[in-house]
Amino acid sequence: MEAKEIIFYLLAALTLGSGLLAVTARKIFRAAIFLLFSLIGIAGFYFWLQYEFIAAVQIVVYVGGIVVLIIFSIFLTQQAGTDLPNPPLRRIIFSALAALFGLIFSWMLISQHPFKPGAESPVAVSVANIGSMMLNVNDTGYALPFELVSILLLAAMVGCIVIAIKSRTETAN
Amino acid sequence: MNDFLTLMQSELALTLILFILLIVKIGSEKMSNKSLLGFINVMLIINLLIGISSLWMQRPGGTLFSGMFITNSLILFEKNILNLGILIISLSAFDWLKNHKHLTEFFMLLIACVIGMFFMISSGNFLIFYLSLELATIPLAAMCNYDMDKRISSEAAMKMIMSSAFSSGILLFGISMMYGTTGTISFTELPQLLDGSPLQIFAFILLFTGFAFKLSVVPFHLWTADVYEGAPVAVTSFLSVISKGSIVFIFITTLYNAFRYYADLWYNVLFLSAVITMTLGNFFALRQQNMKRFLAFSSIAQVGFILIGISGSSSLGTTSAVYFILIYVFSNLGAFGVVQMISSLTGKERIDDYKGLYKTNPFLTWILTLSLFSLAGIPPTAGFFGKLFLLTAGASQGNYVLITIAALNMIISLYYYLKVVRAMFMDANENPVERIKGSTPANAALIICAIGIVVVGLISSIYDYINNIANFGF
Repeated sequence: MEAKEIIFYLLAALTLGSGLLAVTARKIFRAAIFLLFSLIGIAGFYFWLQYEFIAAVQIVVYVGGIVVLIIFSIFLTQQAGTDLPNPPLRRIIFSALAALFGLIFSWMLISQHPFKPGAESPVAVSVANIGSMMLNVNDTGYALPFELVSILLLAAMVGCIVIAIKSRTETAN
Repeated sequence: MNDFLTLMQSELALTLILFILLIVKIGSEKMSNKSLLGFINVMLIINLLIGISSLWMQRPGGTLFSGMFITNSLILFEKNILNLGILIISLSAFDWLKNHKHLTEFFMLLIACVIGMFFMISSGNFLIFYLSLELATIPLAAMCNYDMDKRISSEAAMKMIMSSAFSSGILLFGISMMYGTTGTISFTELPQLLDGSPLQIFAFILLFTGFAFKLSVVPFHLWTADVYEGAPVAVTSFLSVISKGSIVFIFITTLYNAFRYYADLWYNVLFLSAVITMTLGNFFALRQQNMKRFLAFSSIAQVGFILIGISGSSSLGTTSAVYFILIYVFSNLGAFGVVQMISSLTGKERIDDYKGLYKTNPFLTWILTLSLFSLAGIPPTAGFFGKLFLLTAGASQGNYVLITIAALNMIISLYYYLKVVRAMFMDANENPVERIKGSTPANAALIICAIGIVVVGLISSIYDYINNIANFGF
């Protein structure tokens, strides 16, 4: 076994293990922290694949932004210290069975599939290249999805503000 | 550059409206809601007129951004159906919105949603498709929460965002496996690269599931009734007509073009899901007491009929589905318009409250009756022709079991639609809905719907026109 395989399995263990713990943890704050480790594991995969830019984005956006946001909202809404109620045994069994079935089924299909290299030539993934492709309006550019995401963000912000403003006026009353 | 302006004109027009609204919001502290609504409605009317005029000029289609964005006459026509739909919704929501604090934001969210739908219909690869699907869903969840002081409305928004996140997850899983097996995300390159390997079939099933969630096809319909009941009526009508219509359009395009290779597979899947969807939707609609829940299940049943039309897998299938959506816009928005008016002026939403409605509000009763007749498919209305063509398209595959089940389902649906009509006309009620006077725009919306229900069925050139522009893919 080569070093890169060992690193892969270590990363996989980190991602899946902490992901599993995030789902099963009884304290919601702990679940958020385990999610953090799971996301760091995914960033590790991007580093492993030498997609440095995406790895950096993963860390900045997910680890640095979203998990912090989740932790903030846990502090604001839930009692972070209290345990969540235990789910009924029947639900545990059936969700475990469903997850196991999904895992085995997709694993069987994927392991049997003869993957071929893609037809498109791979592009260089340097940060400069990604930046110029995102803002390029010519044929090779991705300006359209970029702008689409910007409208999505605008709409999401408007939606958030509308929902959040409500609670402020309610407390004022 | 010129290409860019003409081909993407519908999207650009809506984006312009979005930004005008943003500026209006910042600078319009003193503007009253009524004048704002008037201003917005005028913009939407201009938008629709521009859209229709570009249809009139018969602009040739084309692609932009190396095939990421595709447009042709049919897609332009579909976009104009959606434009018409949001105009009617905006008009009939007048009574609800005139006292709402966050009026401009409502339209900003709505327009952002529709921009997403337009890009989704025009999408040429999975990347744009997925992004625009999210753009069409996330603002919608915020819109579901728009009855700010009602708990049930927040619950609807929560259910909406959870179920759509789940379905997006399934869809993304499918897309990633499709990319893994074919090496492309482009819809035009995909057909040559499909090879029927088990993993690819699984990926296709997951993709289909993603669509089925958004269309609320039966095993994946569980979110529909709760979201429809909790959301404000305007949002419910948007969900059931505009949102569903746009998904049907892109569903047809992907099935017929990108996944033609799997035609046998998806025919069987469509057959089964159409049968279950119609039957369950109908049986649940039978026992509903809330008008919005009732229309939710009736819209599930209607999706079943649309699936039959799609299963025809010919240009007839496309034509009949698009034609049906056009009629569905008028009939369902007519029904929702009446429910909206009664709900926003009196707060009554139960079918029992509608007893004796004819005595106090004959105009609303006639509009609702006409809409329900059209939804049930009773001959003089357009709904009859819509259903007829859907079933004809489905029958072209020679599967008469499917058509028989559909016919039986039409009879069941006739029963519950007529139950509401009977309640309005015949049942006595000591405490009926008082005489209400809706605003002019809301009444105008109802009249537009009524005219649409009658006229679209009688003028056969509309059907011929759709048939002419639908000849792609086959």
